[in-house]
Amino acid sequence: MSVSDVGSTPVTVLLVEDDEVIRKTVGMALERYGYRVNTAGDGLTGLELFRERRHDVLLLDVMLPGLDGIGLCRKIRESSMDPILMMSARGDALDVVSGLEAGADDYVVKPVDTSVLVARIRSLLRRASFAPGPERTPEPVPGGASDLVFGDLAIDPQGLDVHRAGEPVALAPTELRLLLEFAANPGIVLDRQILLRNVWDYGWDGDSRVVDLCVQRLRKKIGPDRIETVRGFGYKLRR
Amino acid sequence: MGHAIARAARGLLNWRSLRWKIAALVAMASCAVALAVGVLVHQSTFERSMSLGRDRAFSELLVVVDTYRRTGSTSDEADPAQLPPALLQQARSTGQYRTWYDDRRPDTPWMWAVQQVGGQALAVRIDMGTEMRSLQALDRHIVMASLAVLAVVVPLAASAAELPNRRLRWVARTARRIAAGDLEARTMVGGRGGDEITEISATVDLMADSLRDRLLSEQRFTADVAHELRTPLMGLVIAAELLPESEATELVRGRVRVLRTLVEDLLEISGLDAGAERAERASVPLGRVVEESVGRTGLRVQLMVTGDPVADTDPRRLDRIIANLVANAHRHGRSPVEITVNGTAIAVRDHGPGFPDELLAHGPQRFRTGAAERGRGHGLGLTIALGQARVIGAGLAFANAPDGGAIATLHLRGDTGSKG
Repeated sequence: MSVSDVGSTPVTVLLVEDDEVIRKTVGMALERYGYRVNTAGDGLTGLELFRERRHDVLLLDVMLPGLDGIGLCRKIRESSMDPILMMSARGDALDVVSGLEAGADDYVVKPVDTSVLVARIRSLLRRASFAPGPERTPEPVPGGASDLVFGDLAIDPQGLDVHRAGEPVALAPTELRLLLEFAANPGIVLDRQILLRNVWDYGWDGDSRVVDLCVQRLRKKIGPDRIETVRGFGYKLRR
Repeated sequence: MGHAIARAARGLLNWRSLRWKIAALVAMASCAVALAVGVLVHQSTFERSMSLGRDRAFSELLVVVDTYRRTGSTSDEADPAQLPPALLQQARSTGQYRTWYDDRRPDTPWMWAVQQVGGQALAVRIDMGTEMRSLQALDRHIVMASLAVLAVVVPLAASAAELPNRRLRWVARTARRIAAGDLEARTMVGGRGGDEITEISATVDLMADSLRDRLLSEQRFTADVAHELRTPLMGLVIAAELLPESEATELVRGRVRVLRTLVEDLLEISGLDAGAERAERASVPLGRVVEESVGRTGLRVQLMVTGDPVADTDPRRLDRIIANLVANAHRHGRSPVEITVNGTAIAVRDHGPGFPDELLAHGPQRFRTGAAERGRGHGLGLTIALGQARVIGAGLAFANAPDGGAIATLHLRGDTGSKG
């Protein structure tokens, strides 16, 4: 029954969770799906593991002893754009918002079953497969022929590089995916539901806060005015 | 801008406003003072001109008496016959002079003086017209001065009343904001003044503080309970999935599912009870939202959508309402379960025994499913649906169809096309 997401090398998941039972069972369940799972029981051990080994997806609990999930997420984002999925047992606005603000790509509220967890991980991996890896070859010249240019922003849809005023911009997979969605529809208002569906693979029940917070993070990186808020409707990319 | 002007105009036109009550009070007080002063001044001026008139009449009379005594001639200017007999009688009996103010003709008042000298009544009269006219002029001046003062004082009072009025309106506005759920709203009227308005402002702030504290501690408790319940539950959920397939495993998974639903329902209700839930509105196509919502329940439902209705609502909460109504219809009613979306009204109907009378009369009660034939269930679903409907500002009505079956109808607000 184990359906593998794996080609030649298995996808590696870093699971940071203080509850021993969850750590063990989620680890076992993900391994059944063919993932390789490294686990840590607190934030600092998680950070150490993250620095030591390469992971494809990071699964972080919000409430952790020592360095909590939010802090850990922020630390990871200082150096890496790996996809991050937060797990919260509280599910109240504060937890969700601060996790997304710290740079997480998505969140789930416990208890989740394995199928939901795997679906979210796959969605994150799909987005991450867009993102430029470290092995990506020569940087295309910003503003080249194939680039999409919006003011001082240049997006190379093939190389998946984003430059702002000639400087490369580091985007997390979700942020890049969101920007590409906007770049494919310049000047058109995209509502939150469309973005949830196309970027996060959610239906109508998705939490539109993930969109708002991701747009906020994107604005910090590509300039505050590039993506306009259309009150009551959604967002659009200024040409 | 236009709004502010309209509001100001409404404030001015509100005759029951404190502003006009204070202005009326000031006007009344001013009128009373003016009246009292006016009457006193009128009175004393009148007395004074009377006494001057009497003195003048007496001096004239002395001259006439002197002339009569010397020459025996009388003046025909003032005929004593015109005097009232009672006065003549008095003068005759005492032999003293008498004065009389004659205002039988108001435009030409006279001051008479009369004395009986040796059988002959001698009289003089002084014209008092000038005095009376100047007295009337004085009255007019007093009235005009009073009116002029009123014309200044009343608007002044009305605008002076505007300051406390504005503070009171601010307190009322803040209280309304708190009632509408803005728990950080404060009047912030400092200790300055120390009047009753400062006191009521401080009280409103204090009330908001304690309200917020209570709500926060309730929310914190709910969040802590959620964490404490969900963490072991998640371990249980995943562990149950890992169990090898068997009959016992199915039993465990079934109970875990029930436990999970119960915990989520209870947490949802306590969240709704805490009153901290806010709708995240968006314009959504109702047909599609309901269809997807029904799809996720995995239950058989006949869906009929009329037209292409769009509603301004919170799709996640709408999903919760639909899911709970559909689950309830299946658990307590009988198939077929039908959903009709007509405009912004969504009706969920089953073909079972209908809602029990108690539910129709008092609304859904927790852990009470009513009659035994309604089947088992913890009775939280309709409570949640009702609570979520309140959060999105929709109405949820329960009724029984005449030909049997329960109907729950959700009335959403229509899409106004603009927000904010």
